[in-house]
Amino acid sequence: MVMNHDTRVYDNIVEMLPDEANPSPMVRINRLGATSGFPLYAKLEWMNPFGSVKDRAALGMLRDLQHRGALRNGRGLVEPTSGNTGISLAALGAALGYPVRAVVPERVPEEKKAILRILGAELDVVADALCPMPGQTGGGTINLAKTHAKAQPDRYVMPNQYENPENVLAHFRTTGPEIWRQTEGKITHLFVSLGTCGTVSGTSRFLKGRNPAVKVIAVQPSEGHDIPGLRNTSELDVSTLFDRTLIDDIVEIPYELACVRVLDLCRREGLLAGPSSGLVLEGALRAQTDGARGLGVMIFPDGLFKYVGYIAKHVKGITEEALF
Amino acid sequence: MPYAHPEVLVETDWVKENIGKPGIRLVEVDVDLQAYDAGHIPGAVGFNWQKDLQDQLTRDIISRAAFEKLLGGAGISPRDTVVLYGDNNNWFAAYGFWLFKIYGHENVKLMNGGRQKWLNEQDKTFTKDKPYHSPVLYTAKPPNEGLRARLSEVIGASGERNPNLVDVRSNDEYTGKIIAPPGMSETAQRAGHIPGAVSVPWSTAVDKDGRFKSAEELAEIYLKKGGIDSKKPVIAYCRIGERSSHTWFVLKYLLGIENAKNYDGSWTEYGNLVAVPIEK
Repeated sequence: MVMNHDTRVYDNIVEMLPDEANPSPMVRINRLGATSGFPLYAKLEWMNPFGSVKDRAALGMLRDLQHRGALRNGRGLVEPTSGNTGISLAALGAALGYPVRAVVPERVPEEKKAILRILGAELDVVADALCPMPGQTGGGTINLAKTHAKAQPDRYVMPNQYENPENVLAHFRTTGPEIWRQTEGKITHLFVSLGTCGTVSGTSRFLKGRNPAVKVIAVQPSEGHDIPGLRNTSELDVSTLFDRTLIDDIVEIPYELACVRVLDLCRREGLLAGPSSGLVLEGALRAQTDGARGLGVMIFPDGLFKYVGYIAKHVKGITEEALF
Repeated sequence: MPYAHPEVLVETDWVKENIGKPGIRLVEVDVDLQAYDAGHIPGAVGFNWQKDLQDQLTRDIISRAAFEKLLGGAGISPRDTVVLYGDNNNWFAAYGFWLFKIYGHENVKLMNGGRQKWLNEQDKTFTKDKPYHSPVLYTAKPPNEGLRARLSEVIGASGERNPNLVDVRSNDEYTGKIIAPPGMSETAQRAGHIPGAVSVPWSTAVDKDGRFKSAEELAEIYLKKGGIDSKKPVIAYCRIGERSSHTWFVLKYLLGIENAKNYDGSWTEYGNLVAVPIEK
């Protein structure tokens, strides 16, 4: 048998990673504010083999390191992550034979830490400093990962998703072309959340290259939020990939709404989405209310299962006692 | 305009040149030793702010005897030049500097830009190897209480608005919007600031690379805009006393305000007092 996307037969899990020929699915929103004037489609990134949008950047960065010969002689990877990039890298590392060390902040959901351990990643959990520095959340994990790479250069190389142009290129090569093809060029609005900004920068650059009129709307949680993996623009100092010229509007949503929309997506659409997807949905629904016309695509970064504890913490009535 | 005491600052390049020279010792001071254990400047010993520099039974700085044991155990003699550096923009290293000065260590310096600057410079290295230094007998001086503000002094200062009080926390903490930074446990009963205190967040003292701003810029920030009278005594405070030691260092050594004190009780003491008013 040979690799075949139609029959979904693969020689290696890595072949399953998404691209234009094998796009992640897009599903129309039907019961939550559906209008004929502005249909909304969710691009389900949790359908990627390792469960999130980060599969794309992880593969792009890893392939680049392979081509540059940076992974020879048993050298592995060390990366700061709020979980998903670490999971993607650890799974790719498992498939391709590279050890992975993931550096995560303490507040990352326990499920993600557990998955990283199950995948065999070495895990550093960085306690939030006694007085965290405003605007520099994530600084501790980035610095610790850099420290490992600097102190043990023979053991580790750091892809550094916050500064690595391969993170942007991955979306320019895959996410953008997939959406263009899936919507037959009809996309008018892209709704996307901000983290490292690889997704927004790469996808926007591709789509605006095809049609400069495509509006790119970044949806960000209000300040003080605790949604794993997302950043408010006040926290974006850590990323060099943020390019404001590729974003038309930045919409701020009270972060507490993310979990409410997760329940809506689960209960009214059957979409088992995570909190960042809930936030993106809210941003798109607001644009719809404001009279947007055309075709909206929302990038849903990952799914529900890693956030059960998080949801229990944030949704009244869904307590851990009721769940477990 | 030079710093008032430029001798208390060294640059990363100076440290690289002087690693291993007799009489020069490097100490990394962090909130814990996770970063130090992962990698540090060759030859540096690591001090844990929470465990090594705080008394574990009384909320207090370590005793003179404990300080002598800590430094002697690390092979540091009172004649050594000690260069301190650390994470979080040198907050904990600045606290260490304050403690070294309290116990009268003559030659102590901060590495400008801290751990992060060294980390991001291509020509600098880190090691995981922990150095061995033969223990020595260290004799400290009696504590210089003149560097440390106590509660009664702070309450007095608040009433008279002299000495000047500087709140170095974030604006949201100063105005009482939040008790502690996001993600921190709320270790005070009230949110706000000490009456009469001016707000100058610690971070305004440093550039993007973590190095201190120039003397002119600092004078503009603290004296002109902040309204601090350099002829009067001044007290800096934050939440637990480490961000404020960073500002204390600026006020005393870079701007040359002779009578500058660090209030290490800070908001986690003041914000919990019964029958003492605060401002929002």
